[in-house]
Parts: sequence; structure tokens; C-alpha cells
Amino acid sequence: MKKENKITTLKMMNGNEAVARGAFEAGVKVASGFPGTPSTEVMDYTQQRYPDIYCEWSTNEKVGLEVAIGASFAGYRSLAVMKTVGLHVAADALGGAAGSQINGGLVLVVGDDVGRIAGDDYNDVRHYGNMFNIPVLEPSDSQEAKDLMVRAFEISEEYSTPVILKITSVICKTTSSVAIDENYTYEVKCRKKYPVSFSKVIMTTMMMNAKGSEHPKLIKCFQDFPAQMKRLAADSNNFGINKLELKGKKIGVITAGTPYFYTKEVLPDASILKLGMVMPLPEKLIRELAEHVEQLYVIEDGHDIMEKNIKDLGISVIGKELFPKFPEMTRFTPDIIEEKLVPNAPKRTPMEGIPFRLPVSCAGCSHLFISQILRNHKIKAASDVTCGLIGCFPHMEAYQLQKCMGSSIALAHGFNVATDHKEKFVGMIGDGGFWATGINGLMNLIFNDSQSTTIIVDNSCLAMTGGQHVASSEFGFNYKPENKLEIAKVCEAIGVKDIVTVDAYEFENLEKAILNAVKANTNSVVIVEKPCVTKFKLPKGDAYSIDQDLCTQCRKCIKIGCLAIESKKGKDGKVEIVINEDLCVGCGLCSTACKFDAIKS
Amino acid sequence: MQDTGKNIIIAGVGGQGILLFSNLLSKYYMKLGYELKISDVIGLGQRGGGVESHFRYSNKPVLSPFIKAGDVDYLLSFEQTETLRYLHCLKDDGIVFSSTFELSTSSVNTRLEKDMPESKTELIKKSGKKTFIVDPDENKSSDFDISKMMNIVMLAFYAEFRGYSHEEMIQIVKESVPGKFVEGNIKAYEKGISIARAKLA
Repeated sequence: MKKENKITTLKMMNGNEAVARGAFEAGVKVASGFPGTPSTEVMDYTQQRYPDIYCEWSTNEKVGLEVAIGASFAGYRSLAVMKTVGLHVAADALGGAAGSQINGGLVLVVGDDVGRIAGDDYNDVRHYGNMFNIPVLEPSDSQEAKDLMVRAFEISEEYSTPVILKITSVICKTTSSVAIDENYTYEVKCRKKYPVSFSKVIMTTMMMNAKGSEHPKLIKCFQDFPAQMKRLAADSNNFGINKLELKGKKIGVITAGTPYFYTKEVLPDASILKLGMVMPLPEKLIRELAEHVEQLYVIEDGHDIMEKNIKDLGISVIGKELFPKFPEMTRFTPDIIEEKLVPNAPKRTPMEGIPFRLPVSCAGCSHLFISQILRNHKIKAASDVTCGLIGCFPHMEAYQLQKCMGSSIALAHGFNVATDHKEKFVGMIGDGGFWATGINGLMNLIFNDSQSTTIIVDNSCLAMTGGQHVASSEFGFNYKPENKLEIAKVCEAIGVKDIVTVDAYEFENLEKAILNAVKANTNSVVIVEKPCVTKFKLPKGDAYSIDQDLCTQCRKCIKIGCLAIESKKGKDGKVEIVINEDLCVGCGLCSTACKFDAIKS
Repeated sequence: MQDTGKNIIIAGVGGQGILLFSNLLSKYYMKLGYELKISDVIGLGQRGGGVESHFRYSNKPVLSPFIKAGDVDYLLSFEQTETLRYLHCLKDDGIVFSSTFELSTSSVNTRLEKDMPESKTELIKKSGKKTFIVDPDENKSSDFDISKMMNIVMLAFYAEFRGYSHEEMIQIVKESVPGKFVEGNIKAYEKGISIARAKLA
């Protein structure tokens, strides 16, 4: 860093962008991971802005984290980015890294979908902090997102531990100013302290059986991870990122993340302990605040994790008894704090009866074609996640089973085994889900002699998260044509007997291909090709329209679930089924659904 | 600096350029030296989901990224069902700028729930707030696609209402949108000024 030429300027950045900047300033060498809302853009910004950092979207989160762990052992600061649901996939890798010898700092940037804004389940990444006994940092705005990113690497190296930087759907999508040094020069940090780095299994064996032994071979393998975390917890009372703001004696609040700012705005006189590191807890600071105030509250988004950890210290706090968690509340807002802690606060309620919006596929999406065929022929099927998951919502009713990413092939196989292959349950999966973990399900069903049909929707990207590349894409950070993986070839190599590739928009061919595959008494794969309409901005065909004289309002076209088909009140108050010509891409799927020839191009 | 700051909600559905709108507006306030916090809430799905942007500028540091219900000065909405969702957030003297564009919801389309019996435009007008309604159908132009550029029309309307420099705002638009869209966006901006002048007269 050229300190003599430091020019500080303020830049507007969202949380994701600020984390990427932090990675750059921390001298990160390797960034890996898997897309997942809300934290996907951390990688996108890192790759676009800081070409010195090696970036990759890995095949899944577990692989991504393992890549970062390997790079960290080589001595270089490394980060792995994913959302909390993705860390479930990578949890085994994190368990292996926790408590082990860390050379180059290892930081997991994990996006928590606080408030279910991005549509995830009500998860909380901090559980991993408790489970694996590793530190979790949480920023409150973009400036802190950048600063804590740098701090996370320092802590990782100083206390030899992976560090989780928890960012939320609010932090990721909130833009605020960040002070940066325009003249900052990137400098790779490298530290090779340990000749070996083993999972805790090796060390716990050592601790239990060879305690006190001074043999150099034992010492080389040993790492006293509980002592490191105890030291970190003690030191954290003096960390600048944990701020004790002693003010009024009535109300004390322990908080972190954006709820810190909600609290400050609504309770300007409250004494606040603002935690930049939410795990482990700074016990001394908490006791100091507890002694200063009459009533102590915990205001934390997500699960009641800080609350439980504080109560474990024997300190009494009010948390979820006043602020009940899901389903009463999905995330804190200033309004909720005001309602509960400010006397006579005005209450404002939204207008009643405003219709809600269930997620809808983009007009022309290949998933709509597949859903339509499965529905028309009453084929039972499992959906995967991402865009195909929309087919499970009550306005679509195309699938009977849906769980996690990459699961549908194994789900269908399990169903078929249990029902002696009589019902021909189908697995539908996107290309992203297939490469992530679905491919394991396919290998599994082949060598276990199953006869399931798998529909693989190849839209050339991970569509739901904004179109990142996958192994079979023709673009990407490290893309070379010769390294592109072909879905059909891989399926063939795995041993799938019957493989057909069809264009999604050739409706009759697609219908035939799916019906043939389902009927056949063998395992089969139907690959449905159509690049994602939104990512690749496909040229639009002529818009379709509905002849109102022929339309009987049977609503078969509405059932397709296309964003462009609307049921609307006209100026005269009468309901009409219409096609929004601005949204229609001219794929013609709706015309196949109309028995009255009312839909024409 | 007479204006100490305002709280604004920008609402609509995916694909209407809400994030571009708040980005352009943020550049204007940055130039004036204000502190800003802009928080975008984007629902599931690439297109057609509800989008809301909480936009706060102030001459003091902005604390909460979300605006408390009752603290909103201006609600700018490009879709009228979404306008209804935030009416209760306005201050008593808060002001609504709303398009009459409506994207029917999936739940109404598939009859999972009934649509509101009253006209949504009338509900907005009856809210008791000062209201400016812009009808995209009445303002169609061959120079630009108003279905895609309502954000810029609204930006011009807002700038005219606040008495901001159109020259500076157009300069920000020019610097921020891809070259091939500049011309259409400027036409949309000019249209927005003329709509605003007619409504404010």
C-alpha cells in the first residue's frame, strides 16, 4: 500500500460491492464459490473490478469451499462465497477446516436471506458458528462490509480459524458510501506458518491419547483450537468492531447488522452494544452494559442465537419473548422496534385486500413448456430448485415433489424404487442443479439399476441468480471451448440408455420425446434446450393476441403461468383474458393450449 | 442547504427500471453533497415480482436503510397495485406519484384470490394524499417506448416538481445509460417534463 499517496474518496457501493473491495484490500488471491441470492454479486464485482484476484464459480458450494481451503493452505488469502442454503451443502468442508491450521486467511462470505426477501427458507448462518466453534462477523452498512472483510482475514490468521462474514439480503442490496483510497495498490498476502493442516479428527485423537507428549511429530499435527477460540473471545472485549455506546440507563440493547441502525433511529437515548463480531461474544462488554441499564434487550435478525448465547453466560435479556420470531416476524424493521419499545407509537397498517404476487416464470421460459406437458399428460414429477421451482406454486400445479438443489433425480429414483417402477415418476432438473449435485443422483440411479426418466433443462446458465455460467455454458470467467462439458456426452458416459435432445419451442417434438421417455422401460434423459430468455435477451417473435369474440374464458391459457397472459378488467368493468404485448416474446405456447383458436400471432 | 433531506419509496414490478431510477437520483443528490442510503427489496423471480427501493438522502448521516411507515415524503410508483401497498407509509403531507400501469397478479389471474372491486386509480386518488397520476396509454409516443421508460418519465416529473435542474439530470442520464438508449431516454425525459408542467400548472 502506497501510504504516502493516499487519496480518500467516497464511493456509493452496495454491500456486495463493498465486500469485493474488502477482498481486494485484504490481498485475496483466490475467490471461489457458488451463486446464491443475495450474495452472488460479491463474486461478480470481484471478477469485474479486481482482475488480479483469481475467480471461479465452482460446480457447487462444497467444491468452492474446498478450493478456497486448498488455496489457504498454500499460504494465500482465500474467500468462498455462497448463501446460507449453499453452506448446508458445504458444511462438511467447513467442519474439516474449523479448528485446523490456517496459513493464508480463510473467509466464508455467506448471504443470509433475512426477511425471506429472496425467497429462501428461514435459515441463519450463525448456527455454523456455534456448531463448529468459529467466529462470525456481521456488518451494518457498506463501509463496515468492506472493513470487516479485511478484519476477517486478520482474525482468521491470528487465531487460526475459518471466519464467516455474514451478509444479509438487506446489507447486500443497500447502497451507502464507502471511503476508499483511490491509490491503493493490490498486494497479495502470503503466509506459510504450518507445514500441515488436518481436520480436528487428527487433533482430537492427539488430545485424547497423547496429551503432554512432546514428540515433534505430535506437535506438528497439533493445534489447540479450543484455546485459540478462548483467546479470541477474551480479546474481543477490546476489538474496535465491538462498540459499547453507553447512554441512557433505562434501555440497553445488544444488536448487530442493520438492526443496529434501526435501533439507533428509533431509540436515540438507548445504551447500545453493537457487535461487529457476533461470535464469540465479548462477555465483559455485555456485563458492563447489563450493569449500566435497567432492562437489557437483544435485537437480532434471524434466529435467537445471540440471545441464547448471552443467556448461557447467565445474563438475563429480553429477546424473542417480546419480539417473536418466524412466522410472526421475518425480519426486524424500525417499525417493530418502535411498536414494542416506544410508548404511544402510532400504528400504521397497510390497506387490506391488495392481491399478492406469486413468482411467475418469464414469458417464453422453457420451464413453462415442460410444466404444460407434465400437466396435460398427468405425469407425476419432482422439480428441482431455481426457475423450475416456480412450477410447484399453487397457480402452476405442475409438480408433486420438490426439495433442495440437485435433488430431483434421486427423489424420483427413490419414489420409483418404492413403487416398483409402476408410476414412472419423473425428475426435472436445470443445468445448474444437474452439475451442482444432480449428476450424483443420475450416477446413483444407473448403477442401482433404476429406470427413471430425467428431464434436464439446459438454458445455458444459472438463470434464477442472474445468469452465471455453469460447466456446460459457452461463456464464463475461465471459459475455453475445449473445456465445456456436454450434458449429453456426460449422460452417455455415465451409462444412460436413452438420451434425446429437443428444442423447447418445438412443442410437438418435446411432447413426443417426454412421452416416449416416460413410456420406455429403461432409464432415460430428455435434454430440453433453450437459452434463458432473460439472460440472453433472445430476439422476440411477433406478439400473440386473444380474439375476444372467440375466447370463452376457459382460462386454459392462464394455467400455463406465463407472465404475459393476464386476466384483466376492461374499462367497462368486464373481465377479459389478454396478452400483454410488451411482455409476450411470441413463443406460441399459449396457442397450443387454446381449443377455440382464439390465440393468434 | 435549505432541504435537509427526504424519504422516498420507489415501487413497481421487476423490469421497470426501478434500480436505474434510484441510481440516477442518487447521483443527483451525491452531486449536491447529501448523505444517502438506498435499500432495494427485490422479490423472487426475474420478472413481474414486486420491487421496492427505500431512498433516503439527508444532510446528516442516514441511519436505518428502511423508512419507517409514516416517514415517507414521496412515493413514486410505476405500477398501481404496488402504489396501494405503500400508501400507509406516507407522512400526512406525503405526496404520491403513480403510473396507472397495472400488471395483474398471478394470484388474481389464476383466481386464487379476488381482485379488489374498486378501481385502483380511484383508491389512490381517494387516499387523502396529494396525488399525481400519469397514464402511460395517454402519453404513448412513437419516439420512445413508454412501457419501458416510465422510470425516466417519472424522473423528469419528479425533477420538475422539485424544481431541479433538468440540464444536470439529463447529463446524469446520458452518463449512465448505454449509448444506444440515450436518445430514447432523453425523449422520455422531455415527455416527463411536459406531462409534469401540464399537471402542475
